[in-house]
Amino acid sequence: MAIKEEQIRPNSAASLLNRKVIEGRDTTYCIVSKNVSEYHFIVPFDLSEEERVEVGQIFSIKDQGLTFLARVLNIEHSSNYDGHWDTTMKGTQFFDDDQIFNRVIAEPLGCINKKLEFKKSRTLPTKFASVTRAEKEEFKFLSQVMGDIEVGYLRNGSRLVEEIPVALHSEAMDHHMGVFATTGMGKSNFMKVFAASCMRLFARGESKFGLLIVDPHGEYLKGKSKDLVKGLVHLKKYREGLACYSTNKQNASDPGVEELAISESEILPQDIALLYDWSPPQRDALEAISRILDPASWLEEIQSPEGMARMMQEGFKDSTVMVLVRRIKNELGRNSYIRKRSSLANILANLQKGKVVLVDIPRMSDRSELFLLSVISRYILNEYKKDEQEGQESRKNCLITIEEAQRVLGAGSNTTRFESIAREGRKFGVGLCAITQQPKLIDKQLLSQFNTLVVMGLGDRNDRMQLEESAKQDLSSMDIEIQTLEKGEAVVSTLNIPFPVPARIHRYEDYLRRLEKEDKQESLITRGGFKPFLE
Amino acid sequence: MEEWSRLSLVAELIRDHISLDGIDRYLAETGVQKSDFVLVEPSDFAGEIFAVDGSNVSLCNWSTADVNLIRAGYAVYRGREWRRTVITFADVLLADAKLCRNMFDPYLEQFFGLEGIDLKESDLDRLSSYYRELQEYVAINDALGEAHAGDIILYDGSFDVFEPLRGALAVIFARAEEKGVALLAVAKSSSLFWGEEITLPFVQHTGMAGSRLAPEAAWYISLKDKKVDASQGRWNGQTYIVRFCGQSEHAFRVDAPIFLQGEMGSVLGKLAAYSCSAECLGYPHALFRAHRDIRITEQEGAAVRQRLMARLSQGGMPHSKIRMLMQDFHDILEMKPRI
Repeated sequence: MAIKEEQIRPNSAASLLNRKVIEGRDTTYCIVSKNVSEYHFIVPFDLSEEERVEVGQIFSIKDQGLTFLARVLNIEHSSNYDGHWDTTMKGTQFFDDDQIFNRVIAEPLGCINKKLEFKKSRTLPTKFASVTRAEKEEFKFLSQVMGDIEVGYLRNGSRLVEEIPVALHSEAMDHHMGVFATTGMGKSNFMKVFAASCMRLFARGESKFGLLIVDPHGEYLKGKSKDLVKGLVHLKKYREGLACYSTNKQNASDPGVEELAISESEILPQDIALLYDWSPPQRDALEAISRILDPASWLEEIQSPEGMARMMQEGFKDSTVMVLVRRIKNELGRNSYIRKRSSLANILANLQKGKVVLVDIPRMSDRSELFLLSVISRYILNEYKKDEQEGQESRKNCLITIEEAQRVLGAGSNTTRFESIAREGRKFGVGLCAITQQPKLIDKQLLSQFNTLVVMGLGDRNDRMQLEESAKQDLSSMDIEIQTLEKGEAVVSTLNIPFPVPARIHRYEDYLRRLEKEDKQESLITRGGFKPFLE
Repeated sequence: MEEWSRLSLVAELIRDHISLDGIDRYLAETGVQKSDFVLVEPSDFAGEIFAVDGSNVSLCNWSTADVNLIRAGYAVYRGREWRRTVITFADVLLADAKLCRNMFDPYLEQFFGLEGIDLKESDLDRLSSYYRELQEYVAINDALGEAHAGDIILYDGSFDVFEPLRGALAVIFARAEEKGVALLAVAKSSSLFWGEEITLPFVQHTGMAGSRLAPEAAWYISLKDKKVDASQGRWNGQTYIVRFCGQSEHAFRVDAPIFLQGEMGSVLGKLAAYSCSAECLGYPHALFRAHRDIRITEQEGAAVRQRLMARLSQGGMPHSKIRMLMQDFHDILEMKPRI
């Protein structure tokens, strides 16, 4: 067979020169790999301060009608050159930032379709699809899924996206919330911002739950004047949403602050039980009190010779009963708020109205605080249970805050009361807000009941692992980000928002100023349509 | 062992004769004088630098003819900023002496207005290399089309080229001169030599001499009237030895057309400003990039080879026949994976 001319000889000028041009920026800010669960793209190694890529930043990839969102998990030095030749700097500098670059490893969050619906992504962007920093437009869909309790602004890396407030859902609060941070990262500030938003909702008639805060540090009521730290009472515009009770006489003398009182009749042997480590006979004796003595006056009775005699008649040794009596006397002496009258009914009523109830117990010992919290929580849970049985639908749900929650929710702790709230409180509309700096000490099963997590910087790997293993949303990929969170920054994970959201929590004092300035009469802001309080 | 004693002797020879202790003998025998080393002052340059390179890998070889993958093109820089890389040729060549006119002539006619190639018997076993060179000249010609007056075009290699293609080079020189574009060839390796008793590497020794006479500086020397044969008369240009960067030990042979004779200091100054990258210190960075962008890697060659075999298979050729035709027996000896 003869060789054809076109097999060997180009037959036109066009086929002689088949130019292909590769131009600058063809490779940076493009998806280069890798799979559905991890995207890689490259950026110049020498970006300016403003353009630097940070862990936690969210990028968008527009590809054939879809906008993929991906959060930066890690950044690596990389290049198209093999070997380890660049360990010594020679010459003036690198010339080719498309060849020497940083490889950005990002986790897909999902994709937004043309109807602005956000979906989890089951595919990956086309190779070399262009990558840009996500801007407010791409985050707009988040406004539709945010709740009604504003706590901060969306954060993209270190940058704020002030157009997108981060707001928790009132409906999720009976599914329990955890606030986790090491000391000084802004737990108290967060709680004040959270409470202020709740007060605002109450004042606007939008409150869906009452918030109970027991404050053993005396910082929520009036703040700290010497540090210019404000308290909840400084939010005058929405003061009607706050009910305050204090064990401190001076604080209680302020108008609008009631002196806290718990009636002896409201204290049960179980409340005393959680204060000490008891021997088995002592525990038996405690449990028998309700059977032997009058439940309404057992505290008085057991201190009397007659009451002690009745206990001993039931077979308890005098030494056992003496220990009980001595410890009870100690507690009564230590807790001067135990009186004939009681604030509990009022507290409950305010919670059921949807107010923020602040119980201010400054300088109270750890043990006394636990005791008080136990009494109040039990009372609330019992009353909510009754309401549930009676079909009281008008009352609002309730969220009970526990500081240093590892004390009562830790594995092996003997405080079943809080555990039972965590496990079954939701049925009756009672949620827990556990605040701790050591989530690793909280029982894993209990932690898995928490549907809303506010994580504000945890240096301890075990703390982070505990959260990652228990969270409803996958936090494992955010390990570096959580580790590097700055003061006031948080990752908010809640079921109503499709992925853990990076946030900058408002500084309470700034938020206060904004709330004081806003027009109280302006139309109520509906869920999902938050208007940010821009200065 | 005998071979080790031989190695020692060679090492001794290199130490005593090839290594340069002093430069007096070098100066005396080459005709190079201290004053020939002209310092180069790096200067910023607003124009563009084009760097042309080519690459060639064999896909299969039957000694009488072979199949090659060839690529040619150029990278373009403005200052330190890479602007683009243009591939002007990337294709498979069946290098067969009996078909060679059909391969070369269309390019020579179309791009250089030349009638056709005239190959001698001795040229025929280097067809793919010549074809790659031709494609590199096409790339230079394309770069010339894009360049503006004052721009610089660098060619990776020498202008002492294969004789049948000198006509194409002459056309390129004329076009460069007409357009006011500086055209230089920079060779990474060179066969220039000096010495009467033993053949001594001229470029390396000139580099060593330059380091002593002009330490930590960029410099160049012209080989005009030196006792070194750079075949300059054959291609209408001048050869230089250049150190582009004072911090680098390396010097290079640089060929330039005769029309650039009076501008070498200025042109080399512009290049010196862009020959100090951390990626490849001492070498014009555009050439470094062109090399990286245009080279055909081993994997790429292997992939094309696989595709070629797949085509043969799709065409109905039995696997045994493909293996017989495509397998290089060296690969069998090296125990590389069989086809």
